[in-house]
Amino acid sequence: MRIASMGYARGLYIVMKRDLDRFWKYKWWLAGLITMNLTDLFIFALIFNNIVNRAYINNYLLFLAPGVTAIATFASAFSIGREVGVEVRRGYTQYLLSLPLTRMQLSMGRILGGAVRGLIYQIPFILLLIILHGKLPTPAEAGVIVITSVMLTISMSSLSIVISTAVRSFDLQATMRSFTYFVLFFFSNVFYPDALISRYFPHILYTMISNNPVSIATSIYRGIFTYNASIEDPLILLLKLASWCIVFLIMGSIFYLRNLTH
Amino acid sequence: MIIWDVRKVARYKVFLLMRFAWFVVQVSVFAVLISYLVAIRPSTASGISYYEYYLFGAYTALLFSISMFRGYEIAEEFEEGIIEYQLSLPVRRRILAIGRTIGGGIASFIYTLPMMLFILIMLRISNPLLIAIAMISALAFSIGIVGLAINIVFGLKSGDKTDILFGVVDALLVRLSTIFYPLPFLSTIPAYFYAALVNPLSSLADFLRALFLFEDLKAFLYLSQEQMISYIAGLAIGLSVLAMLFIERKAEGGGWR
Repeated sequence: MRIASMGYARGLYIVMKRDLDRFWKYKWWLAGLITMNLTDLFIFALIFNNIVNRAYINNYLLFLAPGVTAIATFASAFSIGREVGVEVRRGYTQYLLSLPLTRMQLSMGRILGGAVRGLIYQIPFILLLIILHGKLPTPAEAGVIVITSVMLTISMSSLSIVISTAVRSFDLQATMRSFTYFVLFFFSNVFYPDALISRYFPHILYTMISNNPVSIATSIYRGIFTYNASIEDPLILLLKLASWCIVFLIMGSIFYLRNLTH
Repeated sequence: MIIWDVRKVARYKVFLLMRFAWFVVQVSVFAVLISYLVAIRPSTASGISYYEYYLFGAYTALLFSISMFRGYEIAEEFEEGIIEYQLSLPVRRRILAIGRTIGGGIASFIYTLPMMLFILIMLRISNPLLIAIAMISALAFSIGIVGLAINIVFGLKSGDKTDILFGVVDALLVRLSTIFYPLPFLSTIPAYFYAALVNPLSSLADFLRALFLFEDLKAFLYLSQEQMISYIAGLAIGLSVLAMLFIERKAEGGGWR
């Protein structure tokens, strides 16, 4: 990384740019990720559509697509956590500390780098949503989509850094990442409608599931793309997602800074 | 060689605990809600629902993922240089290869044993003969999948490519199987139907279903139990032999590359 003395924003940009450049090195990894997410849509959703109860969902493919779009950010934004984990184990952080960057620039740069990766990965899925639903979002809706995606990817990127710096063992990091993925996935409304969750689960569990950041983002996408989708006030949903984003961002920076200090 | 792999199970307590935890989440949240979402009801007589159908699918998917992971780990050990030590042992290569494949299979099976017991307890199944058959079939399946993973790793000889292919294989094989949906419902898309029919995951999941819930699920089972178990046994033997040949020919001191 070649850095001269610079302003705060430029320092952030350079750290982000470095992470983005490294992202393109994983072309095959990206292709694998896309295949996995598309498999969920075009195999799981298509076949499941034959057995789903029409009283709840009319078209399971269209129902699942916004959820897959939301969860897709997880894997790509989480790639930054994987790299930070490798750096922690190899002591690479000493090199990063020797650079003319503040610790906060490094920390924020890494989180935003992960978020940008998530956003880039998510764009084809947003386009797929537009094609599948045959609906072009209005400028206001497009703005909401962008804000939602940015906040979701920052949350996921920060969360991945928390996990990767909380423990040093590679096996444990990988296991915790998978565990987090499954918890976010299963405790969300990606696969099932809110009405079903509230009908069969205790209210406390329903509240937990519907307020998971992946559920909130999924609800927002569904609200925009699905006609007659009954969702909470979009502003409330955005505020909830912003709260998650701030909490994860603070946690991510604290954990990354702790990692740089020790 | 088998003991080498089996002993490692004890070292992964946290890994095992977390796997068990997310399996519990899977069957207590995902499976329950999905079960309410689907319209099919396998039998009206015994009150069996899609939930029971899915339980064995969830177990099969888990066993498959862990077996693939074990196979990958064995190959990683080779990459890290452990092969030098193992090749120096007074053990023939063939024995080394078959030992690691079977050992990996047994270790994967032991990892998933708590989950299998969890399902059996939930379904109140206590017939020792049927439980023993289920365990043997799961073990054979696991050995076959570890063999498959070793074949992939030695075939590709690249950590990155292996990572990607494992992810894709996992996604495709799990979705293109009867893990989530009965075979007759796949018939609307013939390509998916035939892919699921020859998919080893379908064979194990359906075999376990047939073993414990045959009367309730027979409408959903396409192959006979004999056909399914023959397929699982053939898979275990065939892929282990292939892994053996790969290790015999490709493993050399100085790294498996």
